[in-house]
Amino acid sequence: MIKLTQIKKSYGRHQVLKGIDLSVEQGEVVAILGPSGSGKTTLLRCMNYLERPSEGEITIDGFTVNCKRPSKSDIHALRKKSAMVFQQYNLFRHKTALENVMEGLVIVQKVPKEQARKQSIELLEKVGLGNKLDSYPSQLSGGQQQRVGIARALALNPKVILFDEPTSSLDPELVGEVLAVIRKIAKEGITMIIVTHEMGFAQEVAGHVIFIDDGTIVESGTPDELFNSPKEERTKQFLKRFTPDGTYSI
Amino acid sequence: MKIDLQFIWTALIELLSVVPTTLAITAVSMLCGLAIGIVVALIRRYRVPVLNSVAASYVTFIRGTPMLTHLLIIYFGLPVIIDSLAVQFGWSFRSVSIPMIGFAYISFSITAGAYLSEVVRSGLQAVEKGQLEAAYSIGMTTRQAMGRIVFPQAFAIILPSLSNSTISMLHGSTLVFTVSVVDINAKSQIIASSNWKFFEAYIAAAIIYWGITILIERLSALLEKRINIYNRGGVT
Repeated sequence: MIKLTQIKKSYGRHQVLKGIDLSVEQGEVVAILGPSGSGKTTLLRCMNYLERPSEGEITIDGFTVNCKRPSKSDIHALRKKSAMVFQQYNLFRHKTALENVMEGLVIVQKVPKEQARKQSIELLEKVGLGNKLDSYPSQLSGGQQQRVGIARALALNPKVILFDEPTSSLDPELVGEVLAVIRKIAKEGITMIIVTHEMGFAQEVAGHVIFIDDGTIVESGTPDELFNSPKEERTKQFLKRFTPDGTYSI
Repeated sequence: MKIDLQFIWTALIELLSVVPTTLAITAVSMLCGLAIGIVVALIRRYRVPVLNSVAASYVTFIRGTPMLTHLLIIYFGLPVIIDSLAVQFGWSFRSVSIPMIGFAYISFSITAGAYLSEVVRSGLQAVEKGQLEAAYSIGMTTRQAMGRIVFPQAFAIILPSLSNSTISMLHGSTLVFTVSVVDINAKSQIIASSNWKFFEAYIAAAIIYWGITILIERLSALLEKRINIYNRGGVT
């Protein structure tokens, strides 16, 4: 479904990704963990070309882009395979919740407006915002905005949804509602890649967990393997700071 | 000194006939200037090779020279260029058939374009990067993302500056008297000199300019309120 081969990315002399190989099966939920600055968000953003990898190959749903010299149409085609949920939500500020969700359907996928509207309303109801259709992002709480963001991503019916720390900028009391929505769609068999700091959530929802540090994959495996019997010293160190219930111990 | 209030009124009525001229110069220059400004801002944002340095030179040269100088250079230079081209290519068109106001349109559009390109650039920069990324992430092309997501927000941001520029252009348009276009200011001079009531005639012109300015301010405020509806905030 998704295959990354030797993805490298440098900013000037600083190499952020040092050759990442990764493959994700259809319907799999993958959590990417790692300390700040480890390159996990960069890796995720490379998958839809919001960051340009310096080298490597990306394949999503049978479409391959060679990162050496991709054409504009390659990048565009690759982006259409995925959707992204952002840390800062990034809802279109001048559009209502409903318009945010409809935008991709109408403009990119050319779905007739009425049908797009119906689909979008259903999705917003699914994320529990059926009563906020006409609200602008500035009128919604962080948790609500992020749920609109998830509905916007779902609307495109993408092959994979990329979550970039979806709860990191939320108040603790709003994290729950967003995680509940992600949990719900994870059960529907949509392929998802989630960069997160929510250890407990990763353990619960992901089928596969990857630990990244310093631009390389240190360890990967099932949540049980990684959380309960990590092999690498670096992984153990990192996980030590989190207690099993997902809260921090300092 | 005695003020002839009656004459101010008379002058005011007479001046109304040339209000369309002033408005046309202001509107055409601002609209064409905005179009130039958008193109220049995009060239500079995407650092289009060659054009980028041309655009940068254009902006610094035009902003570094007075609007009156632009008008005079266009007025005296453009006919020479057009006529020599016409001879060379055998066109029947000659510069004398360009109406005087045409020079004002061209020159002021060039002036406004330079200033507005900076306004547009600041607006584009003020739109969060995440907006463009979100547009890309749902599969939009750059054109769609700019047209539907970035520009509408940038426009809302620069609206106050645009209204400012429009008012500047309204007042700057008085320079057209140098190329014998009769606008409000020129007309007030004509009225004044034929009646020897300079003070009254200029007061009348000032009142009209002020009135138009207030109108622009009101319109802009209305538009701003409407366009910025999404920024009002407050959880519903």
